[in-house]
Amino acid sequence: MVDATWGTGEPPREVLRRDVLGGVDEGAFDDRHPPRADQIADCVHCGFCLPSCPTYVLWGAEADSPRGRIYLMNEGVNGEPLSESMVAHFDACLGCMACVPACPSGVKYDRLIEDTRAQVERRFPRGPRDRALRTAIFALFPYPRRLRLLRGPLRAYQNTGLRRLVARSGLLERLGPTLATLESLAPRLRKVAPPPRRVAARGTRRAVVGMLTGCVQGAFFPEVNSATVRVLAAEGCDVVIPPGQGCCGALSVHNGRRDEAARFARRLIDTFENTGMDYFVVNAAGCGSSLKDYGELLADDPAYATRAKHFAAKVRDLSEVLVDLGPVAPRHPLPRTVAYHDACHLAHAQGIRAQPRALLRGIPGLELREIADPELCCGSAGVWNILNPVPAAELGDRKAANVLATGAELLVTANPGCLMQVAAALRRRGGSIALAHTAQVLDASIRDLGRETQRQEQVTPR
Amino acid sequence: MADIDALTQRLRAELGPGQVVTDRQELRTYECDGLAHYQVIPALVALPHTAAQVAAVVKACADTGVPFVARGSGTGLSGGALPHAEGVLIVTAQMRRIVEIAPADERAVVEPGVINLQITKAATPDGYYYAPDPSSQQICSIGGNVAENSGGAHCLKYGFTTNHVTGLRIVTPDGEQVRLGGRALDPPGYDLIGAFVGSEGTLGVATEVTVKLTRLPESVRTLLAAFPGIDQAGAATSAIIAAGVVPAAIEMMDALAIEAAEAAVACGYPPGAAAVLIVELDGPAAEVEAQFVQVTDLCRHAGAFEIRIAADDAERALFWKGRKSAFAAVGRISPDYIVQDGVIPRTALPEVLRRISDLAGEHGVRVANVFHAGDGNLHPLVLFDARVSGEAERAEKVSGAIIDLCIEYGGSITGEHGVGMDKAKYLPRMFGEDDLDTMQLVRCAFDPDHLANPGKVFPTPRLCGERPGGQVAARFPGVEVY
Amino acid sequence: MAVLDELTRPAGDDDHVGGVPARLVASPKSTEEAAALIAATPGLAVVVRGGGTKLHWGPPPRELDLIIDTRRLTGMVEHAAGDLITVLRAGTPLRELNLGDQQLAIDSPARATVGGTVATGASGPRRLHYGTARDLLIGITVVRADGKVARSGGKVVKNVAGYDLGKLYTGSYGTLGLITECVFRLHPRPAAARYVRSTAPAQAVSAILAAQVAPTAIEIDSATGELAVLLEGTPAGVRDRSALVEKLLAGEVSEEAPSWWGRDPWTPDQIGMKLSVPLSKVGSLLDSGSAVRGSAGTGVLYAAARDITEVEGLRAHCVRSGGHAVVLTAPAPVREILDMWGPTPGLALMRRVKNQFDPEHRFAPGRFVGGI
Repeated sequence: MVDATWGTGEPPREVLRRDVLGGVDEGAFDDRHPPRADQIADCVHCGFCLPSCPTYVLWGAEADSPRGRIYLMNEGVNGEPLSESMVAHFDACLGCMACVPACPSGVKYDRLIEDTRAQVERRFPRGPRDRALRTAIFALFPYPRRLRLLRGPLRAYQNTGLRRLVARSGLLERLGPTLATLESLAPRLRKVAPPPRRVAARGTRRAVVGMLTGCVQGAFFPEVNSATVRVLAAEGCDVVIPPGQGCCGALSVHNGRRDEAARFARRLIDTFENTGMDYFVVNAAGCGSSLKDYGELLADDPAYATRAKHFAAKVRDLSEVLVDLGPVAPRHPLPRTVAYHDACHLAHAQGIRAQPRALLRGIPGLELREIADPELCCGSAGVWNILNPVPAAELGDRKAANVLATGAELLVTANPGCLMQVAAALRRRGGSIALAHTAQVLDASIRDLGRETQRQEQVTPR
Repeated sequence: MADIDALTQRLRAELGPGQVVTDRQELRTYECDGLAHYQVIPALVALPHTAAQVAAVVKACADTGVPFVARGSGTGLSGGALPHAEGVLIVTAQMRRIVEIAPADERAVVEPGVINLQITKAATPDGYYYAPDPSSQQICSIGGNVAENSGGAHCLKYGFTTNHVTGLRIVTPDGEQVRLGGRALDPPGYDLIGAFVGSEGTLGVATEVTVKLTRLPESVRTLLAAFPGIDQAGAATSAIIAAGVVPAAIEMMDALAIEAAEAAVACGYPPGAAAVLIVELDGPAAEVEAQFVQVTDLCRHAGAFEIRIAADDAERALFWKGRKSAFAAVGRISPDYIVQDGVIPRTALPEVLRRISDLAGEHGVRVANVFHAGDGNLHPLVLFDARVSGEAERAEKVSGAIIDLCIEYGGSITGEHGVGMDKAKYLPRMFGEDDLDTMQLVRCAFDPDHLANPGKVFPTPRLCGERPGGQVAARFPGVEVY
Repeated sequence: MAVLDELTRPAGDDDHVGGVPARLVASPKSTEEAAALIAATPGLAVVVRGGGTKLHWGPPPRELDLIIDTRRLTGMVEHAAGDLITVLRAGTPLRELNLGDQQLAIDSPARATVGGTVATGASGPRRLHYGTARDLLIGITVVRADGKVARSGGKVVKNVAGYDLGKLYTGSYGTLGLITECVFRLHPRPAAARYVRSTAPAQAVSAILAAQVAPTAIEIDSATGELAVLLEGTPAGVRDRSALVEKLLAGEVSEEAPSWWGRDPWTPDQIGMKLSVPLSKVGSLLDSGSAVRGSAGTGVLYAAARDITEVEGLRAHCVRSGGHAVVLTAPAPVREILDMWGPTPGLALMRRVKNQFDPEHRFAPGRFVGGI
């Protein structure tokens, strides 16, 4: 904030009234990683972030814009208590980080909102329903085995405590649309063979890469993981896939559950540390951005601080590493019109926009089309769509309309959450478009699968 | 003293849920606009969705004698949307429907919360755009543009908001809805549209705006020229104007401003430039090509050591990115700053810049310069660190001296940001008592009870029907009387 | 009274407005003299006279005591060529300006003065490209009805300090006081200019607008059935663009304007009207059967009406189209029974403005909208 002069004259009287309204409270935050005053001060209140913010686009209210949220943080730092209203506005933030590249002053809003959310999670007493819902979400999503149970016949998890938890918390209702979409996207659950521990590179080995199988990705879209492995191998990578890997902790850190995230992070670092990998490859955008931040997450832990930094330095998104290495596997034609959707955590958080496009353009016959308003989030935002279903549906509808307007046959995106969100919105509109992950498109081109393969993910109205 | 609670109840009855804000923490998010130096917490905030709702809010204020301030996107730089502590802040950000794009009439009809750039985006498929382009156009609202008579880099050739508004629906401070003009030009009677545009929210609230759409030019050519000194850049500008060329825009940035822009958006301007000039020509291809060659030669002749010509839209956007983010970018090279908006005759540019540089040196503060070289509108950014004792005062002194400089050279204290509350105390340096008195006759006609954005623009409110001056301070708490 | 005798002379036979005779005439030579005069004559009804080219526009004044003639309030105060501005006294005839290779881009009849052009908001064909007096005026000095002198705007094009009184006074028909000085922004004189003359129909206008040739004027005349376009710019550019327009309109390039260009379409015995409609409605206006001539590129045209029925028909047509129609001039007997101004949205507000600026209604009483 530009906190400065009102000149050499008398300040307007109203400015001095601040003390009448509030008094000096203990403020909203304690000493454990509060949003930093110096980072808040970077904001000059110009408002350039507003048009990129999905909640501002939806509601047009200052307190639900990055500028407004920073202002609330500042109020909290300067004595205002952590109130329900403040928390509601922080909760409403998607964490899409579209505001970060939009800001000319370089405000680190991503840092600010994460620190703020951690404070809220630790210190704000949520209502019982809210708490139950969040507990259920975090009892489910970071655990691929439990997620897989959702896909199968209900019988399989009927008698588990999980089911009771999920049902009682209202999560199942909220998950309903997601599950329905899921069913329409993929065939019924078959027993999915776990991936091999190590897959050798085809031809000259250019790198050893560890691969994250992920939670939602691994549970709901195992074929994306298979495609990823094949593409990496085809491009000369030995792929190391330790079994029993856990969650990367992204959902937890994005929702302020720092300690939980740190636990997941430590486990993951332990799992992959001694694999001799050059890079750690991720095919889910949300995961990649958190993994690159492990250094910051574990900075307070003397046992892991340095290891986390080294680990984070190796993290690459799939498209990133493929472009860095340079393509060697020949590409076969895929004559399709493709719309590429920028996942927020890939484009805004990691700055990766050019690489996926370069890879897609490298496929002969493929015509790439741009989606209007690409910086606007699709509304998935991790579990935001589960916590805020109504505005998420509105955002999903906007995105679906823009996607359909491209007239493309295939929508490609690099994040499972986005894929499900957009698919659900398309179903609602009765639209029809094929969907795929970048890895699957590359895989199809490398394996010369031509037209056939892309029919697999057709979404049609029921 | 008005009963805010009663007013709040009445507004809650007129407007829907969520449209009346009384939560203190939320109110505070509206306590300042783009000029964050000044903060005033409004008594309450109303977010109307329709003209009828705006009228209802204003009528309620009129009935209870409560002042009101209108706000669009809150990006103004003169404190024009600074709330009144005992008043209602009427936020039009949720009135953002584009009512119609009518290329056959070359008009667009929009609600006041519509963002400036959105009009262009909506009209581009039909081959049109909305010409006034303030640097904040991606977020500033058309209602705010109307209030401030906003300009932008391209107003040298295309004019300001007032040259592009042909119709307005407004709510006058007594709560009545009035329609002025429409799609057709030259409506009979007084040019109340012309009086309203630029009146900074002191004559009422606009609820619908009809604007001209401009045909997209056949050709746009942009160059970026780097000069070893400001004088040379100024000479280039003079030469271009003297040659009879009317560029769509000529913008200049000095070394300090370039440094900030580079840090912010990595625009990659030629290193070592003491000044860069961005010159843009647009129009029929046949005209533009000939003039562009001429302009390039003139720049070279004036001493440009590097000239870059934008090869495509992407490169052109990059040239402009540095310029358009300059203000906010300055935040990266200095913790605090004051941005000025003075105007001087273009021919006085080099001399005035020299005097500003002297002032900066004398007072030990840095000044970065970004300006519309074509029309003499300067934006000196006076940099300082409020944490260093005395620096804020010195920065304020330099700011005031720069304004005096503009007046000395026969210019203006504000070219596009407006007077607001920030420059009200300087208005009497530019205009005499009779001048201000006459202007306020207009205010008396629209707002005899002084409810619309009181305390803005004029330092001394005119008591309507009486002589100016008098017991003003008692009636208008918080208003500075100079 | 000494001031009165010093500054005024008795009116002569020619000193009347719309048939209403004045008692006195004054020709102040400066703003200060004009201010003294107006301050010394409270209660006297005043009409300002410049070149007299539009003196008969609008209803005659309800009463008239004093004509203030601006013939001595003349001259160029300043021409800052490098800044593209000029300061002119109100009585300066527009056609007598010497601005070198710059121009004050307002079309006007001979003898029309700066003040009169601004006060009536008069314009001509080139308004399409350059705008009107309203857009070119950047500063103004006026004398109020109480004799106080006021300035607004300034000498720079970019200026939002204070209210824009210039806009208020433009087109105010002398009802808010006396304009004594105006500051205008100038444009360079174009190096080349050509007309393209044709008999293309009004529908062709949208094709010209779509063609991105940046025309300076697009004029149409129902009497001759002609559509003519003016293009200005560099010699090569004008050549190219006029060739394109020539083809579009199946017309002919010419260095001369058509004889009807910029001329009022009415004769003294007819009713002269100013019509304004949205662009898309220009075509239907031309189909109305009336003698219509003017800017098809802006929708502002002029008509010669023969009788009140035609006036009302045209007005109804314009209002229905979302525009308006004003009777500028009419023979005396017709004027008395005609509503010259037509419906005026915002009239109540305008009355309030008038009451603030001229509470005694001494300036041009009854000449303006709503009997102001």
